[in-house]
Amino acid sequence: MPRPTANLPPETHTQKAYNPRVLLFHGVVAILLLTLAGGLAWRQLLRTDDDHERERRQSQRRVLVPGPRGNIFDREGRLLAGNRARFGVTLALDELHTKFHGQYVKIRDNYRAHGDKDLPTTAQMEQIARFTVVQDYLQSINDTLKPLGRPEQLLDGEALERHFEQQLLLPYLLVNDLTPSEYARLIEQLPAASPLQVYASSVRSYPRGPLAAHVLGYVAAADDARPADNHPDEDDTAAPPEIFPGADLATFKLKGTVGRLGLEARFDDLLQGETGGAIYRVSPAGYRINPPLEKYAPVAGHDLTTSLDVDLQAAAEDSLGEQTGSAVALDVNTGEVLVLASAPGYNLQDFTPRLSNAAAADINTRGAWFDRAVNGLYPPGSTFKLITTIAALQAGAITPDEPIVDCEGTLAIGGHVFTCDNGLGQHGEILLRDAIAQSCDIYFYTAGLRTKPEVIAREARRFQLDQPSGLELTGETRRAIIPDPNWKKEHQHQDWYQGDTANMSIGQGFVRVTPLRMACLAASLARNEIATTPTLLHNPNAPVQHHEAIGLTPEQRAVLLAGMEGCTTTGTAKILSSDVGELHKIPNLRIAGKTGTAQIPDKKNIAWFICFAPLDNPRIAIAVAVEGEKSGETTAGGQYAAPIAQAILRKWNEKQLSQASAAPVVLFPTPPATPPAP
Amino acid sequence: MRPQRFDQARPFLTLGIVALVWLLVPAVVKRFARASFYELQAPGEVTAAGVRQLQEFWALRTRSADDLIAAGKQTADALAFYELSARQQEQLAAENERLRALLNLPADPGWHYEQARVVRRDFSAWWQQLIIRKGTDYHIPVGAPVVYAGGVAGRVREVGAHTSVVELISSPGLRLAAVVEGDTRPVSYQGGENPAFGASRGTVEYVPLDVITLIGAPRRLLTSGLGGVFPAGLPIGTLTHAEPAPDGLFKTGEVRLDPALSELTEVTVLVPLHPEETAPPVPAP
Repeated sequence: MPRPTANLPPETHTQKAYNPRVLLFHGVVAILLLTLAGGLAWRQLLRTDDDHERERRQSQRRVLVPGPRGNIFDREGRLLAGNRARFGVTLALDELHTKFHGQYVKIRDNYRAHGDKDLPTTAQMEQIARFTVVQDYLQSINDTLKPLGRPEQLLDGEALERHFEQQLLLPYLLVNDLTPSEYARLIEQLPAASPLQVYASSVRSYPRGPLAAHVLGYVAAADDARPADNHPDEDDTAAPPEIFPGADLATFKLKGTVGRLGLEARFDDLLQGETGGAIYRVSPAGYRINPPLEKYAPVAGHDLTTSLDVDLQAAAEDSLGEQTGSAVALDVNTGEVLVLASAPGYNLQDFTPRLSNAAAADINTRGAWFDRAVNGLYPPGSTFKLITTIAALQAGAITPDEPIVDCEGTLAIGGHVFTCDNGLGQHGEILLRDAIAQSCDIYFYTAGLRTKPEVIAREARRFQLDQPSGLELTGETRRAIIPDPNWKKEHQHQDWYQGDTANMSIGQGFVRVTPLRMACLAASLARNEIATTPTLLHNPNAPVQHHEAIGLTPEQRAVLLAGMEGCTTTGTAKILSSDVGELHKIPNLRIAGKTGTAQIPDKKNIAWFICFAPLDNPRIAIAVAVEGEKSGETTAGGQYAAPIAQAILRKWNEKQLSQASAAPVVLFPTPPATPPAP
Repeated sequence: MRPQRFDQARPFLTLGIVALVWLLVPAVVKRFARASFYELQAPGEVTAAGVRQLQEFWALRTRSADDLIAAGKQTADALAFYELSARQQEQLAAENERLRALLNLPADPGWHYEQARVVRRDFSAWWQQLIIRKGTDYHIPVGAPVVYAGGVAGRVREVGAHTSVVELISSPGLRLAAVVEGDTRPVSYQGGENPAFGASRGTVEYVPLDVITLIGAPRRLLTSGLGGVFPAGLPIGTLTHAEPAPDGLFKTGEVRLDPALSELTEVTVLVPLHPEETAPPVPAP
């Protein structure tokens, strides 16, 4: 309490200018202020980067748009797989915040006005509001398209809610698959500045339907439709950071596609476009604030030019028709695959935008998923006699001018009677040339027995018949079989008998090869080499392949080729030299071929034909394998397989002739720039 | 006595109260006020246009008699030509009708042509519009197509009692379904951003990739007739160039519009004879 002083009036109080208790209070305030300032400095100066980063992650969203896939062409630049537009109408939900709220208020007031006791929750009323607003937009589309006869579309409430919860920044697809007339009508009648917008999405298109279906494969929607908010690191389709920043942001992705089979799968990385998109700032409620902070245009994927020839492929598939089988044609010099047909096939148009359950079941029922050209393992039948011939000639077991047997239609080997199934009679004393042309089984049983199974197997393996070809398709079979005594011991736990050798000599028994490999054999024989590496990629400047020579003497090779030509003129495939009918001879085209009819006990027979042409300058090699319709039925290669090869050859020949006639005639050849060296 | 500071703040207070009242009045009052303002303004616009025409009339009166005689001859020639064209048009229409009947095709929807003088041209970076001197008094409907001698002029956006606002095709707010001449696939045309003194331009989207435009040979863009608003075959502009869009599916391009669009003095409104067969613009829900 202040003390009164003598000089001052009694009502006057004095106070000490200096009070230790006040000083203490000042100190406390100063400490508090310092703490505050320190905290502020800590936040604003030292933690500013962290806070800025947190704010960025909270308020920015990334929207990714996949780039369109590249196209696939045939060797002449004709489109096999491309992209087509699919028109639809989208609704930008993130622009409807005000409308949603207004509708919510209306619904809430309505409930309150009616005194309804069972008042829905706020979340339920918001959901109803969203459904009502979007339904109104959809109805306006329905009304606009009604004069064109389009049936009314109903709103899927669950899909809408899912989209709202997970993909608010992406436009919601209201109507899809518009026809050009519907699209045009909406273009003209929707206001330009409306949340409703006509948009075009890209879907894979296979303009040639079922053509080369197994080779092209198909695409399916990438299973990444979920928002990547919680798993940004798992964002597998996002562009690399240096191209598209913001990998740490919550990301929304429009669904892309991935190759599932064939070239679409094998070259998926090449065909995939570069992802584009934008980074947006969003409101606390998650609604987009335009314009985007950053924007990147998607880039189309690379195109792929295959070695296939659409004309030849179509000829092969048309000729195969309803049969089950496959046909392969190669460019003899480069190994480029001109035809890779497998039947039954499927229509690739059924896969866009997605394969229906019914279509998938149909493909399953028909066994059409299986690519018989690349994965079909069949006994090669008499086409294998060419390997037996080469092995026997090289081993000195036979010579071209020695009639090693007198074919009487049967031959007893190891207590079993083996028959000659070709020629419907007895070939008598027969030389190698005619044995190949007439496909005399007795001759080749004998040749095989003289040669030994290990030698024949070694020769077959030299031609790589037991190896995958390395073609650029995923899942090529590795289960081809070239048997020998060791193989039988290891896999069958049995001894090798002479009958096994006889069977192997004519491509029966345990031998299993693919049509693709047999086409490689035909191409290799045409070049007088042991191997052909097939490829599905077209290179107009591809060099001629060179591998190890077969090793036959010119005389031996001449007899081999004469036998093969004889097969198509007077032998088992003489149907190709007919003068009349659909299979009439292709003029001026000498074909070297070999038929085969493989009999699989209790299973369907396989008709084979392998060939190359022209004989004097081979350019194309073909292998055809056709499965018989019923088990035990005789399905002769010359009757069922050779006509398919001839259809391919006929088309190929027509194209050669038309190209030759279209080539410019050089009347005055340009002289060389520099005179030739003396 | 009120403090002086209150007097100083009174204008701001009044403004705030007025703004608050405007904010709170029902939407119908606002709409009425806006429409009334537009209608009150319209006579002024029409009078101004009339005065301008009078000026032009008096300016023409200063021409020599020889000029007027020459102009009269030209007009007579043009009239004769148009008379002949009108006859041919009638014959073609009759033939068209006969063929439609023969093939059991629906009758041509048909239009009623309403010529209208341009009262005002209103251009900015955001909108491009005309005000014409006909409105509900001539049964002009909202959304009706508007044409001129060079092709499409635009579309009626608002209709007053005696005037209407036409959104020009150079306006970014106007979009229509078009076709490139010689092709049948519809593309999307939209007015572009137009510079203050530059030529009017539009943009075109969803142009098929095989549509080629050469620098020396631009291609015309025409109405498709598929949109339900504009009849087919009316010129829109010239597609000067088109380049592949990032989607890899289409091209986007630029359309050069007729410079005469900015000098229009008279247009024709196509009033549909059967409004139920032609669609008005979709109202925002």
